Amino acid sequence: MNNYLDLSILEIHNLLKEKKIKPLDLVMEAFERIEEKKELNVFITLCKEEAIKKAKELEEKDVDNILFGIPVAIKDNISTKDIRTTCASKMLENYIPLYNATVIDKINEKNMIIIGKTNMDEFAMGSTSRTSYFGPPLNAVDKTRIAGGSSGGSASAVAAHLIPISLGSDTGGSIRQPASYNGIVGMKPTYGSISRYGLVAFASSLDQIGPMSRNVYENALFLNTLIGKDEKDLTTTDRVEDFTRYIGEDIKGMKIGVPEYFMKEDVNPEIKNHVEKIISMLKEHGATVEYITIDYIENAVTLYQIIAMGEASSNLARFDGIRYGYASGDREDLDMFYKKTRAEGFGEEVKRRIMVGSYLLSGENAEIYYNKALSIRDDIKKSFEKAFANYDLIIGPTTTTTAYKLTDDLDNPIKAFLDDILVIPVNMAGLPGMSIPIGKDETNLPIGLHIIGNFFEEAIMYKLAAFIETELKKIGEGK
Amino acid sequence: MDTYKLTAGIEVHCELKSKTKMFSDSLNEYHSAPNCNINAIDLAYPGVLPSVNMYGIELALKAALLLNCQIQKRMYFDRKNYFYPDLPKGYQITQARTPIGTDGYVEIMVNDQKKRIRIHDIHIEEDTCKNTHLDTCSLLDFNRSGVPLIEIVTEPDIKSDEEAMLYLEKLRELLLYADISDCKIEEGSMRCDVNVSVSKTDILGIRTETKNVGSIRNVGLVIESEKERQISLLENGETIREETRRYDEKTNQTILMRVKETGNDYRYFPEPDIPPVTLEDTYIEAVKKSLPVMPDERRELYKRAGIQNVNIEKIIQNKMISDYLMDLNHINLVIASNLLLGDVSFYLNKHSKSLWDVAMSKENFESLVTLLDTSKMSSKQVKEILPEILEKNTDVNEILKRDGMTQVTDKTFIKQIVDIVLKENPDSVLEYQSGKDRASKYLMGQVMKQSKGKVNPAIANEILIDTLNRL
Repeated sequence: MNNYLDLSILEIHNLLKEKKIKPLDLVMEAFERIEEKKELNVFITLCKEEAIKKAKELEEKDVDNILFGIPVAIKDNISTKDIRTTCASKMLENYIPLYNATVIDKINEKNMIIIGKTNMDEFAMGSTSRTSYFGPPLNAVDKTRIAGGSSGGSASAVAAHLIPISLGSDTGGSIRQPASYNGIVGMKPTYGSISRYGLVAFASSLDQIGPMSRNVYENALFLNTLIGKDEKDLTTTDRVEDFTRYIGEDIKGMKIGVPEYFMKEDVNPEIKNHVEKIISMLKEHGATVEYITIDYIENAVTLYQIIAMGEASSNLARFDGIRYGYASGDREDLDMFYKKTRAEGFGEEVKRRIMVGSYLLSGENAEIYYNKALSIRDDIKKSFEKAFANYDLIIGPTTTTTAYKLTDDLDNPIKAFLDDILVIPVNMAGLPGMSIPIGKDETNLPIGLHIIGNFFEEAIMYKLAAFIETELKKIGEGK
Repeated sequence: MDTYKLTAGIEVHCELKSKTKMFSDSLNEYHSAPNCNINAIDLAYPGVLPSVNMYGIELALKAALLLNCQIQKRMYFDRKNYFYPDLPKGYQITQARTPIGTDGYVEIMVNDQKKRIRIHDIHIEEDTCKNTHLDTCSLLDFNRSGVPLIEIVTEPDIKSDEEAMLYLEKLRELLLYADISDCKIEEGSMRCDVNVSVSKTDILGIRTETKNVGSIRNVGLVIESEKERQISLLENGETIREETRRYDEKTNQTILMRVKETGNDYRYFPEPDIPPVTLEDTYIEAVKKSLPVMPDERRELYKRAGIQNVNIEKIIQNKMISDYLMDLNHINLVIASNLLLGDVSFYLNKHSKSLWDVAMSKENFESLVTLLDTSKMSSKQVKEILPEILEKNTDVNEILKRDGMTQVTDKTFIKQIVDIVLKENPDSVLEYQSGKDRASKYLMGQVMKQSKGKVNPAIANEILIDTLNRL
């Protein structure tokens, strides 16, 4: 067996360019590896036939960009034409989209090769990927543990070197948390950077697609191709940018804030310890690192639950069994058909969130909860803006613990939200956030550093991330 | 019974005349086969997002301006959530908090008095899909799903069925003339919900809402029958419930659909997929300037031109003719309008054509009117040559020369013809002299026949009577 997929994307690119390998070699290797690590359960659907066909077509084409021929995995809530898109739900078990999400068109334009659709929490609702109708994907580092979620499959697949790069989506930490648990790099860019057209909506005002990769440079590279204005998504911003441009630059003089809230006692001491080591390292290299307070972030999880569940209850109303997806066989009367279709098609967590969300928007509750949440959300945004007036970046741990056992806390729906306490404020403010691996705990489980940037300042985040990555490599940590 | 006062308010839903739908780029077209004008957005496929049809916003803005509304310069959209098969997303995109127009009015004439019906608001939303219920199944046509709508809501200012109908006619006229909507009630592009209450005091009574009333006349009937029903309930000591009703044309009665629960729970919240739309002052001004001359102004214009009231209303009711008249210059509008309402309309109806798809040029039509106006051609001649003008746009002056049609006004020539006719019809002359007026008409017909219709009828008639009286 070849080991091309252990090489960097740049190295693979050079081999392709020099015609030493073909895209088909990469595709075949990816499927061999997937087969070998089948028990990880990271893919819901594999596109072997399509991928081989595409790889053969590419033999006739010029290797015109660095992502040409690179195998990629797509989270299964992103619409792929003619390829089943299930959202890890029974509701869409047999749903085949009529159209490509805008990001899929962009990936196709670059002639990347889609290998398959990755496992996730049902409709991206969860932090463990255990709510998947297809069973949970496993953590690539320790198969007895959760991959995290909701982009658990995308994270584990990259960490297990099944493919170099993948797409996830992040509504309340769903890219960053599994990236942290699997020891890879995950970026949730500024809200509006990447078109959501074709991303099956969970909470529209929070959802954002983002790249997941083995290293910082490749993450930035992938993000370059994903961003930009899309006429089909009115919330997108017009951006053209090279996110790799500051990578390799010195961090001297950089001002970094660490919110006290991120380093409080809920955070596992080992994780805190690793973050503190990073802080010392940054100081040694001439950066200013200071503890700061950011008002209202302690409310973020509560607000998130109100806003995300409210929006989800509306976004998931379309799954009524009439036009596509699961439909109950009981069609005696309309109300019963609706009830049975949705009761049988959705899993427990999804139903719970729809119920809570509907309640939160009902009658005067909309005013008491939802509208109130929107206004406090503005306050969170303002507090972050205040912080960014004085600091270039904000850092902290990504998670309060490392990946826990697959069997832990199965019956505790609140626990999952508390896990996301550090990542959720970023979604509430619409800011970019990323997680990079900074070491391992004593049981050898990955620890992630959370980097938060000001709006549209992903390039500066990549600069710091790449710096840390390089320094850790020097001392043999991070991986 | 006379002491009861009626109060009504009306909500009008009107489909906008846009090329495409409000939040997707599929066609807004009524006459297509079912489920042809649809895409993934109209069917609410997973992952799709709305875009905003700016032309739809322009049309709604025009309506808001014509209804004298305050314009909302920063508009948000909202989601109205409910489950029904005609609503593929499970929610309707509408404007609950920031309607495009508020606090407007429409002026109507009631018994020669001006009255304002206040407009509470006008907002933009999307239509549902068309649901046809059969015995064993229900059919869905998504062509209508997402068609742009405006909803126009009045204050409870309407005090009679007459006022309601006057308001709706006025509204329809405004929307039609500004090209905002076709207002074709039979195609469902204009639908009314009618709220009615009665009370003996100034405090409004409990109201009922009659949904989806399909014609202006029926709105009047609904108000009358609801008024009677409510009064008889109250007179019998019963109370009115807040309920939703529908109108049954056969029995001329409203029928209970459902009793309103304590406020329908539509779980409104801001539509997160559409950022606020800002209407700049310059844009609003430009749209205002683009509005065409509206009916009331046209009525004034026609009145000044000397057109009779009956005909003015006929013209206003036919926007095509009214628009055509607006473009004509320096000609006799009375003659022009008579021609358009008469022979031209007859031809157009017969051939199912409009003034915009006949060959006749405006200039040629103007020449025709001028020839009639200066008595150089008779209406009979016009009638004969009109089809050719309409179909081929042959220059009327050319036809005149070609067919030797110039009308004869030469009195000596006409006298000669009159003399011949009288000589040939001694019986009719006798009849005339014995007082039978009918005979003169017959003789006049003979004069026209003898002259092949070329003589000016007015002059010929004058000479004929004069000659007869002198015999």
